[in-house]
Amino acid sequence: MSAHGSIIDCHVHPTAARGDGPAACAAEMLRYADRMGIEWQGLSLGPVFIQQPTEDEIVADNDFIAEMIELHPDRFFGYANLNPNLLFHSLREIDERIANGPFVGIKLWVALCCNHANVDAICERAAELRAPILQHTFFRAGGNLAGESSPADVAALASRHPEVTFIAAHAGLNWERGIRAVADQPNVCVDTCGFDPEAGFTEMAVQWLGAERVLYGSDAAGRSFASQLAKVHGADISDDDKRLILSGNMRRVLAL
Amino acid sequence: MNRTIIDCNANLGSWPFRRTSYNTPEDLLERIGRVGITQAWVTSLDAVVLKNVAAANAPLAEAVAEHDALRAVGTVNPSWPQWERDVAECAELGMIGVRVNPNYQAWLPTDPIFGELLSAAGELGLFVELTVRMTDERHHHPLMMVPPVALGGLLDLCARHQETTIMVANANNAQVLGVARDAAGPLPERLYFEMSHIESVGGVQAVADQIGVEHLLFGTHAPYYYPEAATLKVFDECDFSEAELEALTHGNAEGLLAAR
Amino acid sequence: MVIDCHVHVQSGLGTAEDRMGYLLAYAGRLGIERLCLSLGTSRDQRPTPETVRADNDMVRAAVERYPDRYLGFCYLNPCYLRESLDEIERCIVDGPFVGIKLWIALQCDQPNVDPICERAAELGVPILQHTWIKVTGNQPWESTPWEVATIARRHPEVTFICGHSGGNWELGYRIVEEVPNVLCEVAGGDPELGQTETGVAMLGAERIVYGSDAPGRSFASQIAKVRGADISETDRALILGGNIQRVLGL
Repeated sequence: MSAHGSIIDCHVHPTAARGDGPAACAAEMLRYADRMGIEWQGLSLGPVFIQQPTEDEIVADNDFIAEMIELHPDRFFGYANLNPNLLFHSLREIDERIANGPFVGIKLWVALCCNHANVDAICERAAELRAPILQHTFFRAGGNLAGESSPADVAALASRHPEVTFIAAHAGLNWERGIRAVADQPNVCVDTCGFDPEAGFTEMAVQWLGAERVLYGSDAAGRSFASQLAKVHGADISDDDKRLILSGNMRRVLAL
Repeated sequence: MNRTIIDCNANLGSWPFRRTSYNTPEDLLERIGRVGITQAWVTSLDAVVLKNVAAANAPLAEAVAEHDALRAVGTVNPSWPQWERDVAECAELGMIGVRVNPNYQAWLPTDPIFGELLSAAGELGLFVELTVRMTDERHHHPLMMVPPVALGGLLDLCARHQETTIMVANANNAQVLGVARDAAGPLPERLYFEMSHIESVGGVQAVADQIGVEHLLFGTHAPYYYPEAATLKVFDECDFSEAELEALTHGNAEGLLAAR
Repeated sequence: MVIDCHVHVQSGLGTAEDRMGYLLAYAGRLGIERLCLSLGTSRDQRPTPETVRADNDMVRAAVERYPDRYLGFCYLNPCYLRESLDEIERCIVDGPFVGIKLWIALQCDQPNVDPICERAAELGVPILQHTWIKVTGNQPWESTPWEVATIARRHPEVTFICGHSGGNWELGYRIVEEVPNVLCEVAGGDPELGQTETGVAMLGAERIVYGSDAPGRSFASQIAKVRGADISETDRALILGGNIQRVLGL
């Protein structure tokens, strides 16, 4: 990777709406990322934005991401999207995408709550490959979706797999609660993405978890790179902490 | 006459559904001082509807720090992760108790977490204030109607947590008398009721007769309420003996603090 | 003179004689000299004419026993219109009642209430109408300040007392603000700081009257709303007694 200080966005979804095919989609994502000083984008969940995907849909989705990475290997890295309900297929995808490259991590969305034995098997393989797990998390007012994970679920899972780095995406959305829920589990980071740029979020995350456990992510293209970067740029924290959040931590997680 | 009067149920800060006045430490002390109240235990109005309720604790401690007449009661939500840390912080901040609003925090006093909180608070020498309601349910904001806390099971909790002092705040006559009826005898030694919501002609005296004046604490719910309501009820309307007045206005509160 | 414009006969507290003395003793401790009394022990929300007469007779007994302390307000169920007009004759024309009390038998903007208002105008007596605005839901025929404003506009010569100011007084005051023959009364709600100040600011002190809703409510908690209000002593005197004296021609 490139010069120190460049920004890594750990959470991007290049939805097909942003361009027709991987090349057009990549160009579109890079055009905006360039404006914001974002050098690297961690991709997952491309055109197949399905909550309970089949094996074929998983393959199509990961193929799309793979093509984007192939086009711009110096700007994109990938998380293999898995459906843990399809455990054998999930383990095969890990082997094909991560063990053989070019994917570096695992993305889990809402197909199955992550505090489940199927996910333990995935974590064991992730530990062997040193692949971080990006797990969507919400504390949704009125109750989560059937297969949706909360930060508390990630914390429980992470306590069983201390050698794996987990990213509790969105910090649970209801972040005042989400940050508390993962505070005692040192191998869980939170990312900054996918919710409104509410003042105080990054400060609380740094105060409770330490800057080392906070990762910049945007949830683009559904969210703006800008609104999500603002949570870091505008936070009342030190410049050193901002650098960690914007890139240093992700370099450590990915062992770059 | 220079009587010590401790208001065990006063508030500071903002209430989202009404612009309150007299809600800074200086203004509150001046306002309750007009009716002879010399000390007050204060909770944060803001914390009732904050999601991260504990965020109000350090500011509250800071607000009362320069006022010897004010003692802070923190707010915790035991249904949220890391609540133990919040209780410990309240103790470190020199607070005398922790307040819970189960109805605004979406849990029930019969949930096991409340027992855990009672244990933790008791170990740290903090009393637990169980606030039954904040305002008359009939005039809540139409999109935020919060029913009052039911007190069934309270006596069981007292029996299991005899080391912890519990103050029930903002309970009305029927709720207090309901607990007394369930007790069918003396109330648990460390259970107290605060009197701001006790109504009816001579009602405070009638309730004191039922539960024992030693279980009743003087409280105003100021500045949401006129503090005159409490003083007029206790000193003018009712016919308490001097010994009862001493207990009600400060003796019970001082004993509560000493025994924590 | 301090006059409580909203006190009820309530069961319990011993004999009728006992309870009349009991209320006066407590009121006296708070310096309340006269009590406007209404309703009887029935607490029937839609009483028959017989029940209405029995309830009013309890009030009559109190007034006759303590003529210097109690003032009678005649309870009516407007669903029984002819009997209501008869009861006005029996209680007000023939004495000693000085006002009309309407509770929750019928919303007060209904046509049955108009003849009652016309008779009240002829006799120069006020109508004390219970009102509440409950987000938890009103009783089927329970009035709010909206109905009071409506009926009061139809009968500008009658003084209406909007009982409880609608409970939700911040809203209640606004509803009746522009109807000058409606007074707002502070009884029956929690002693929320600001209630009296807001009333004086919006309606003027001449249109705010003290009442307690005792014995269900404490005399103390309710008079605290006036005693503790940040208003002038002139305004306080009007609210505590001056206004109701004017309305009743005392």
